[in-house]
Amino acid sequence: MRSESWLSIYKLLILTTLRSRMQYKFNFVFGSLMAAIVQINEFLMVAIVLYKFGEIKGWSLYEIGYLYAVLTLARTLYRTFGDEVHHLEKYLVSGDLDGVLIRPLPVLLALMPQGFRLMIGEVLQGGFVLVWAFIGLLRSGQIDWTAIPLTLFIIVTGAGILFAIGLATATMGFWTTRISELQNLTEDAARAAAQYPLTLYPKWLSGLLLTVIPVGLVNYIPSLYILRGELGLWAVGLTGLGAVFFLLLSLWFWRFGLTKYQSTGS
Amino acid sequence: MLYLTLASKAYARNLQFRGAHLFHNIASAAFGFLYASLWIGLGQDHSLGEYGVQGMVAYIAFNQAALWITTFTSNGLGIPQSVRTGQISLDLMRPVHLFSHLMAREWGQLAYQFVYKSLPIFTLYFFLFHLELPRTLSSVLSCLLGLLGASYMSICINYLIGVTALWTTESNWLYWGNYSLSNLLSGFFVPLEWLPDWLARLAWLSPYPYLLYVPSRLFLGLGAGSLLWGTLFWCLLLTILCLSVTRLLRQKVEVQGG
Repeated sequence: MRSESWLSIYKLLILTTLRSRMQYKFNFVFGSLMAAIVQINEFLMVAIVLYKFGEIKGWSLYEIGYLYAVLTLARTLYRTFGDEVHHLEKYLVSGDLDGVLIRPLPVLLALMPQGFRLMIGEVLQGGFVLVWAFIGLLRSGQIDWTAIPLTLFIIVTGAGILFAIGLATATMGFWTTRISELQNLTEDAARAAAQYPLTLYPKWLSGLLLTVIPVGLVNYIPSLYILRGELGLWAVGLTGLGAVFFLLLSLWFWRFGLTKYQSTGS
Repeated sequence: MLYLTLASKAYARNLQFRGAHLFHNIASAAFGFLYASLWIGLGQDHSLGEYGVQGMVAYIAFNQAALWITTFTSNGLGIPQSVRTGQISLDLMRPVHLFSHLMAREWGQLAYQFVYKSLPIFTLYFFLFHLELPRTLSSVLSCLLGLLGASYMSICINYLIGVTALWTTESNWLYWGNYSLSNLLSGFFVPLEWLPDWLARLAWLSPYPYLLYVPSRLFLGLGAGSLLWGTLFWCLLLTILCLSVTRLLRQKVEVQGG
């Protein structure tokens, strides 16, 4: 099948999912509102630490706001399209993956549109923090307008890296069935760590966050160039290359994992 | 006796998975380790007040272990699922009050989490971070009482969240909203005295500080036993709320013939 046909099927499946979600309007509005509250609270935790200690390892409030916003928006992009990959466990436990496997579509293409969700709360919150950090950094002359396209680029590549981490973690489910605890480690804990400059952590931990669970590539490494002029433009390029490399690696792992899938027989 | 049986059954049900749960503790312990690393990093450049670096590490370690009995209570005590399946109508017909019935079951769940989650995680941190235990019997007792009250409050809060499932199609978001507010206002990651003044005042108007901040202050020997009056106040208030809401719930339930 041609790639345009795959794309039109994907679009159709997303529209179907959105229409079914909108059947419960109150739920949709309430869910978005609560998501915004959850996001605001999460940022407040970071902001309070800064409020108390001023700056962290030489990183200002705006800079850490930027780290946080890039990570939030990259994650939002990943979860908007790849949420069902994150929720693979329910398919593995119930045996519902059998139904997905027999469809005349690649498994990921069948799976991803089902979990498509509009994450308005997260976009608003991440966007607000990003704009606020940008204004602060532009006013002080620390960055110029070239930072905007670079930031958009690292949000997209960051989403790719987070998707790769999510997909590799989900693939582990073909052996372990249960993956939520592993996701707690590779997605939640790693993301919580990358909200702050990685220099805060012991070397082995920051090394881990740049290689095994490369969440530091999403925001920390490119920010060293975009915000501070350190390293060089290659730091942003590295994020792009990292996204391609980890995506290919996780897709290969996913395909290998699929061959090991055993139905629960439910 | 009935309640004890309900609790012990809930405890026993989990025993099937204790090997897996012990393994899963690694993830939870790693989370606490990360937060502790953050405070150790911050402590290199800043004074951490009356806690000091070691005190903050102990604070975080205690909170991470206590989370399993004060915050990770079953989502809505399982009421949302009962509403969806229609089981709630049978639960209400039982000759036992819905609140006490679900509470007994949850105590069994929390007892299991205490033995197989809190204790192993705390033991790991004890050796890893060279933690100090409370020195006096009264600190141990007041800390345990604080934890017991916190667990009870958490059960009540989740009961109230669960009950909303009768009016909304989705109470899941309330569970996450509560969890997120609790992270911020219970002093889980940042002690309450370091919050901006307005937020700290707001926190003290809610039951959240009594979930983690108060027990951990008692554990560190930094809090007075009189803090437990606040725990008692919130336990009573939440109990009254739960009982009143159950009355409303009895009138609301609709059986959809599923």
